Amino acid sequence: MNRGMIYLSVLVVASSIASGCTVFGVKPWQRDVLARPEMQLNRDPIDAAIDDHMYFSKEASSGGRSFAGGGCGCN
Amino acid sequence: MVASCALLSATAARGQTGRAAPGGAGLLEDWSLDSALAYYHEDGRVQAVEPVVDVSKVFADGEALSVNFTFDALSGASPNGALTSRIAQTFASPSGKSLTAGRHIYTIAPGQLPADPNYSDGRVAVGANWSVPLTRVTQASLGGKLSYEDDFYSATVNASIAHDFNDKNTTLSFGISNEFDALSPIGGAPVPGSNYASFEKTGGKTKDGVGALLGVTQVMTRRWLTEFNLSLDRFKGYENDPYKITSVIDSAGNTTGYVYESRPDQRTRKSAFWDNRVGWDTLSVAGSARYMSDDWGVRSDTAQLHLRWSLAERYIEPTVRWYRQTAADFYKPWITSTAAPVSGYESSDSRLGAFHALTYGVKYAEKLSPYRFLPSSEFNLRVEYYQQTFSERLAMPQALQGLDLYPGLKAILVQAGWRF
Amino acid sequence: MRRADARKYYLLFACVCCLSGAAGRAATAADSDGFDGVDAYRGRVVYLDFWASWCAPCRQSFPWMQAMHDAYAQQGLTIIAVNLDINRADAERFLQQYKPQFNVRYDSRGAAAERYRIPGMPTSILIDRHGVTRFSHVGFRPVDRTQYENELRGLLAEH
Repeated sequence: MNRGMIYLSVLVVASSIASGCTVFGVKPWQRDVLARPEMQLNRDPIDAAIDDHMYFSKEASSGGRSFAGGGCGCN
Repeated sequence: MVASCALLSATAARGQTGRAAPGGAGLLEDWSLDSALAYYHEDGRVQAVEPVVDVSKVFADGEALSVNFTFDALSGASPNGALTSRIAQTFASPSGKSLTAGRHIYTIAPGQLPADPNYSDGRVAVGANWSVPLTRVTQASLGGKLSYEDDFYSATVNASIAHDFNDKNTTLSFGISNEFDALSPIGGAPVPGSNYASFEKTGGKTKDGVGALLGVTQVMTRRWLTEFNLSLDRFKGYENDPYKITSVIDSAGNTTGYVYESRPDQRTRKSAFWDNRVGWDTLSVAGSARYMSDDWGVRSDTAQLHLRWSLAERYIEPTVRWYRQTAADFYKPWITSTAAPVSGYESSDSRLGAFHALTYGVKYAEKLSPYRFLPSSEFNLRVEYYQQTFSERLAMPQALQGLDLYPGLKAILVQAGWRF
Repeated sequence: MRRADARKYYLLFACVCCLSGAAGRAATAADSDGFDGVDAYRGRVVYLDFWASWCAPCRQSFPWMQAMHDAYAQQGLTIIAVNLDINRADAERFLQQYKPQFNVRYDSRGAAAERYRIPGMPTSILIDRHGVTRFSHVGFRPVDRTQYENELRGLLAEH
């Protein structure tokens, strides 16, 4: 993937976000699947913490994940 | 020594997504509890028992507070970094002061990987996280964690902010974190690169780390959610493992002595992480990939896949994780030199070597009906098998031919949990 | 890819994106199955609520809406809860648990939601006795109950 393609992709995504004209996304009432527990990014925080602990003590890498977003979009 | 976990770990605030209210509105309506007991066992080496509890409450205005406790008890044989040899080797556990007298001497048979059988460690950690919706589309979060072991204390604080755009289809998140670690190694912190048999030790050490994370979460379709994070962290201070030594061997391959390891006093790490959730009627998929590189020369790739089959009251979830890393610039399984102390950085810690690892496992969970004041809850059980295989083998000197110098690692994790 | 070509493709992509958004809105202007507006309730104060079974704050709003119905129905309050679940079965399961005594309507294709330009879940719209929209709320938190109730009482007091 050459640099031109990367810049183009970043430009399209950034201006989509800025203009509010999204190619991706759903209406607020179409989030039934996204609201399910298994669809949450932090769905099993204890599993993730125990895994992170195990891999941190056996490998040279750690972290990377976190944060909110997705879900039912309620409130 | 069990150091603390990643700066910005997986215990993010639940925030607006939360969990659907339990089956019955009652005493515990706004409360959630997540608990687990994990048992970890390495083939012939370390084993650990780790109970974890996380309790959280959502308040009337949308604020949430969660508190978690972790206990850790480790024991078993922990590799000390020395190389397998054709002759018997004698070492002293970290609290020992000489190789000739004392009750912490241990002898390793020829052909066996040197590991300290007296290893044991206990850890207690407590953490808390508070999140508050600043507006309908902005959420802030503050967290902290304290961890305590015999030889290692750690305090971490983190703060983050998340903002939603495009009808909450896009979320931009930014977080920062700071960690302070104080080490008081058993027997003292050895002078890096010094001769093992001299037992030159000094007092306590510290290290400090700062980290930042930038993330974008995007709803792609009604069934697909994606997240992309970039993170950077930098640690400064005592980065050595005070209990690890490196074998010094002559040109024929016979071990002539050992030196304590010596690592740089700074480490900067960058990583890019991509996570996905895709859901259909009974099948949902969680897939992620991570690329990490640091200034010690380690580069790693990680890919994980979880497939969950959900039925009415239960689900089953097979998982697989593939991992590979390159060796740190100063990783040396042994040193061929007769002069000590050694100048320059060196470590034979297998965690800094080049290897690939595969984990496969399965998780099973079942929903339990409400009982008295307890809402409907979930019982879960998971088993994971982890195997590390070295990918780079240096040319072996004559005397070491036939010995398994890179035994790798095999471990099993069994975890039972209950949550509501 | 040359820069001139890249710009052309970007413009084309942006246009397609905007047009598909507009087309999306036009396409769902079809009839909704069950909710035909609030004109029939002229003379009463209408609390129009858009909800779905998967929406956690909606679970908290239902007991409150029931309490409002019990307290103010006789004074002229009409609650209409428009369900936006794609699967009717999910909505039925929810209603079996909460057993509301106020009006429930169904809009599974989201036509009414589109018409009212619902910005989030849940959304509640308070309409006065003359059919004028006076308040609109997105989201529901227990701490908002008092404010919403005061708004209702204010509208009910008007003629």
